[in-house]
Amino acid sequence: MVETATQSIITGVMMGVIYALIALGLSIVFGVMNVVNFAHGEFVMLAMYLSYIVGSALAWDAVLTPFITVPLLFLFGLITYYMLIDRTLRQMYVVQLAVTVGLQILMRSVALIVFKAQPRALQYSFVQGSIEIGGFTILTSRLMAAVVSLICIAAIAYFLNKTWSGAAMRAASDDLDAASLMGVNYHRTYGLTFAIGSAITAIAGGLLMSFQQTDPVGGVRYGLLSWCVLALAGLGSLPGLIVAGIIVGIAETLAISFIDPRARLLAPYLIFILVLWLKPRGLFGRK
Amino acid sequence: MDPKRFLNERSWIWLALLLVAVLVPVVFRSNQYAMVLVTTVLLYAVLAAAWNIIGGMAGQLDLALGAYLGLGAFTTGTLLIKWNITPWVGMLVGGVLATGFAFLIGFPLFGFKIKEVWYALSSSAMVEVMRVLFLMWDGVGGPTEVYMPTVISPLYSLRFNTYIPYYFIILVMLIGVIILNYRIRNSKLGYSLLALGEDEDAVEVLGVDSRASKLRALLIYAFIVGVVGGLYACIYGFLHPSFFSTAMSTEIAILGIVGGMGITYGPLLAAIVLVSLKEYLRSELGGGLEGLYLVVYALFLIVVALYQPRGIAPLVERAYQKIKSLFGVRADVKSQ
Repeated sequence: MVETATQSIITGVMMGVIYALIALGLSIVFGVMNVVNFAHGEFVMLAMYLSYIVGSALAWDAVLTPFITVPLLFLFGLITYYMLIDRTLRQMYVVQLAVTVGLQILMRSVALIVFKAQPRALQYSFVQGSIEIGGFTILTSRLMAAVVSLICIAAIAYFLNKTWSGAAMRAASDDLDAASLMGVNYHRTYGLTFAIGSAITAIAGGLLMSFQQTDPVGGVRYGLLSWCVLALAGLGSLPGLIVAGIIVGIAETLAISFIDPRARLLAPYLIFILVLWLKPRGLFGRK
Repeated sequence: MDPKRFLNERSWIWLALLLVAVLVPVVFRSNQYAMVLVTTVLLYAVLAAAWNIIGGMAGQLDLALGAYLGLGAFTTGTLLIKWNITPWVGMLVGGVLATGFAFLIGFPLFGFKIKEVWYALSSSAMVEVMRVLFLMWDGVGGPTEVYMPTVISPLYSLRFNTYIPYYFIILVMLIGVIILNYRIRNSKLGYSLLALGEDEDAVEVLGVDSRASKLRALLIYAFIVGVVGGLYACIYGFLHPSFFSTAMSTEIAILGIVGGMGITYGPLLAAIVLVSLKEYLRSELGGGLEGLYLVVYALFLIVVALYQPRGIAPLVERAYQKIKSLFGVRADVKSQ
């Protein structure tokens, strides 16, 4: 009982850090631009498929694929921003919803046409295997994914805090008009923000592909999970995002072990709904 | 409705539409596919018209439709399967249960003033929660499909082998929901809801209870969707947890948005255009590439949202004014 719980928590923590990374992409887009991207989960799905293509074409390990997929998704994010998102900024948020839901359907059905419905997976990663510590198993692939996720989150934090572009993004998030007066070109800043949000999913996609498979409808799950993490964390706190990701990850694995494998998403969603009721600004929200 | 306004030109248009709607099954009665299509269009139209009450008028982007629909379907189906209770009663019970469930969700949500994207997402999550719960509840079928039996008579158990009776039942529901939309729009509740959409704090100062108004809109909407859910189960002839569908919930909201938020005939128009387009593309392109029809559908959706952000209803409104001026009728002030 206690052992199962501990094992679930260990696995949950590692998954949770990856969820935090996925949610980070959504968080900077929503936090800086106030844009609601319902297709975020599909970006993760696209990243996983690209990782699959690169990995199988070049016989690369999934973990290495982000070196190619990150620029691709950065570009995809940039194109998406200028073609779609930029035109919805001045509209009601329901227009954003309609556009991003359209994008979601589009990406999903293109994936269905290109890859058919059957799930795709890469060869076993070189980080396959596990470490035994005191009777508990730690899968090396998950550990690796968690560590890389943490490094990426730290790198993004550095970018946001120490570079001019990062400062421009934070300024645009706080007060767009004042930032514009200070010489921040908001189209460029927003474009960069959206592209970075998209590029982050490429890293997450590569990491996920090292131990998971992908299918055309799998994106929805990552989308909703990211919103759960975001609701829990609130906006503007990166450590909060990691903690929230871990809470969601643990809730998921505990539900699998102790309730029913089918209940896996039940726990995160219930937490999500309860948090919205009780702490609408999240546990660590800055604004 | 006062008698002078009853027979204005807009009423004539509605009557003409009604006549067409009644004639459709007469024309297509031997064409099973066409009947499936028009029934589906009407089904989506009822749901979208109901959504208009909470989404368009109250401005709450509700994505929990699947939860109410599924509850209605499972209530109606289970009552029929276990206790031979007719779906005519089951639908009402389903509606009441859906209303109760909506109250449980809406009371805290509106109390904490959760708005916009968070309301949308939490209502969407609610559908998933319900789907998983019903997936695990083996007493009502769990993950298996449970078939609806025909007991006593087709009329008693609402199981027909043509779509024509379903078509007319939904048509009656649609007329009811559209009239309800008009009644609410011109009532104190309707004015409160519209004003709340503009400036919630200012309206509260004027003594409108925002929570109560939104809650009433939500409950009316949930009841209609619950009732339609019962009929949904009868039409499809089985029960399955996939009825709790986030995709369907989003699709109905999209119909409401694309039609034109808060415009009564908007959802009807969007349902006719988008659902027919989708089904037409499915039948034309479905054979070749799986998913291609959705690509076209998605592109259409994106283009409409980008270039007609207020929906397609204003477009029709303009065309209507133009036609009138062509025929020499003086263009009057828009009554919407």
